Amino acid sequence: MSDLAISTLPAEVTRKRSAIGSLRLIQTASILVIALVIVSPLLMLIVASLKDDRFQILADMGSFRAFWVPNPTLANFAEVGNLSGELAFGRYLLNSLFILAATVGAGLIVNSMAGFVLAWGSLRGRALILSLVIALYVIPQESIIMPLVIMVSRAGMTDTFAVQIVPWIASPLYIFLFYQFFAQLPKELFEAAEMDGASVFRIYRSIFLPLSLPALATVSILMGIETWNQYLWPILVTQTAYARPIAVAIATFFGQDSIYWDRAMAASVLMMLPILALYLAFQRWFVSSFVGSAVKG
Amino acid sequence: MTLQQPALTATAALARPARRKGKGRRDRGRLFQEIGMLAPAVALLTVFLIVPFLLSFWTAMTNQPLVPRPTPVRFIGLINFLRIFRDDLFWTSLWNVSRFTFWILPVQCGLAFATALLLHQKLPLRNFFRGLFFLPAITSMVVVCVIWGTLFQYPTGPLNQVIGFLSGGLIQPIDWLGDPNWAMFSIVLLSAWQAYGFQMIVYLAGLQGIPDELYDAAKIDGANAFQRFWHVTMPGLRPTHVFVLVITTIQAFKLYTQVAILTQGGPKSSTETVVHYMVRAGFEEQKLGLASAVSVILFLIVLVIALLQRQLLRRFDV
Repeated sequence: MSDLAISTLPAEVTRKRSAIGSLRLIQTASILVIALVIVSPLLMLIVASLKDDRFQILADMGSFRAFWVPNPTLANFAEVGNLSGELAFGRYLLNSLFILAATVGAGLIVNSMAGFVLAWGSLRGRALILSLVIALYVIPQESIIMPLVIMVSRAGMTDTFAVQIVPWIASPLYIFLFYQFFAQLPKELFEAAEMDGASVFRIYRSIFLPLSLPALATVSILMGIETWNQYLWPILVTQTAYARPIAVAIATFFGQDSIYWDRAMAASVLMMLPILALYLAFQRWFVSSFVGSAVKG
Repeated sequence: MTLQQPALTATAALARPARRKGKGRRDRGRLFQEIGMLAPAVALLTVFLIVPFLLSFWTAMTNQPLVPRPTPVRFIGLINFLRIFRDDLFWTSLWNVSRFTFWILPVQCGLAFATALLLHQKLPLRNFFRGLFFLPAITSMVVVCVIWGTLFQYPTGPLNQVIGFLSGGLIQPIDWLGDPNWAMFSIVLLSAWQAYGFQMIVYLAGLQGIPDELYDAAKIDGANAFQRFWHVTMPGLRPTHVFVLVITTIQAFKLYTQVAILTQGGPKSSTETVVHYMVRAGFEEQKLGLASAVSVILFLIVLVIALLQRQLLRRFDV
């Protein structure tokens, strides 16, 4: 840092100006260095997934060839993207997408309904339920899964899609986020609809829900990422390929003596693509969702 | 958003009497609807959160096996806890997550804070970089493990090459995941890389929450850049700091995926973590009672940290 500043000493005024200039330079340089550290591993992954030879991938890793494919091929994707068989990553991807859609879809309905009643209902125990929901937020998933495994295996739910969806539909955080959003909408909305004779469900369905796009987006994104990245729970409750999510399938590459990096890379890219596409389309929403979860949660 | 709230409650108070009129059947119908709308969430939370949570305390005091056996499950009191506290490996796992926390706090939170400060200036392409730095945060940990699994290759992996190049060959290649002295630090590196973008945007939001008037006032009072940072920025970010530190510590205690995939707790138990210890007790040793006892301990640790957070926030008066 100081090297740059010392090199421009002469007069008082120019010194100040060039100090600001060199500060800018340092700032820009640091940003670029960080960008390099953040992006190059991701770039390396994508480039490597287009290389056919798994030994070449590792050999290339140490040099700039890691960022270059002389003859890109989709062979790895063709190899792992099957719908059945040993490398059925196409199936695992579809499994994950199904689990994602079902969990988020049901989660939006269940949590928003609960949040709405907690915000606008006339039930007597509302305040109590709300504080209970907030208290439940402290319990980490990791500390309930052991008894939960016994429960679901007694219920014969192991190795199903349901076992990966149903337990995670209702969530204290998302009920609270919906509650908070609905509570901020003006009372007049509710009053006017009620005067017109609309039922509570009708008010929720036809007036409040259409207005809650920001909350729906936030919960979809947070819940989607959470569901997509589930790892501990599915490895405990899935055994066969039937309902295996892609995260669990990718992890199995590490159990082998010699890791097929080409296949692992292609499968990883497959897993990244859906989220990446959504992120590029809704970047602003992603960022604000995570900020929202942090400030409110 | 928050500014609107007082106004809302005022109108709410005004509008209240009008609603009292239509009592009787309509009110009862309304009540049923409300119960119906709340029921799915309450039922699911009860079955999949409250019951297993309460069960974990009970199971922790039994010799519950993973696979049902003909002999009935016995109540054994606190024996599971005693067994855990006598197990060196449990203390090693606690020590390891503490080491993890010790490293991840400066590496990840410090860098996130520094980047947020950088990006908070009016730099060109600011939003582009913000979006870019957030990319790893949306990348699944399993994928992160695939990426870093190759970066960590010994002895000729990219990381070793870069370090060798930067040090002019002075630093010998490091066996990142295979050397007990380095394994946990390697886990720290990839974890920080993954979660850093999230904390950066949390810090950015915190910085944007500090009113410009405070900086202007400080400038008028003759405060220099460092004084403004120390007396305006830092106090304004206290809740953010508390949040980031607490969430990072809690996450550290829940550390599992990257360790399970890359090191399985090794080498020489140097990356054994509390959750990994729990899963092993439950699934390799098939002692769910023992594993539940670990999960109770984990819950208590997280609870203490969360309560500490509340105390800290209250002390800072936010």
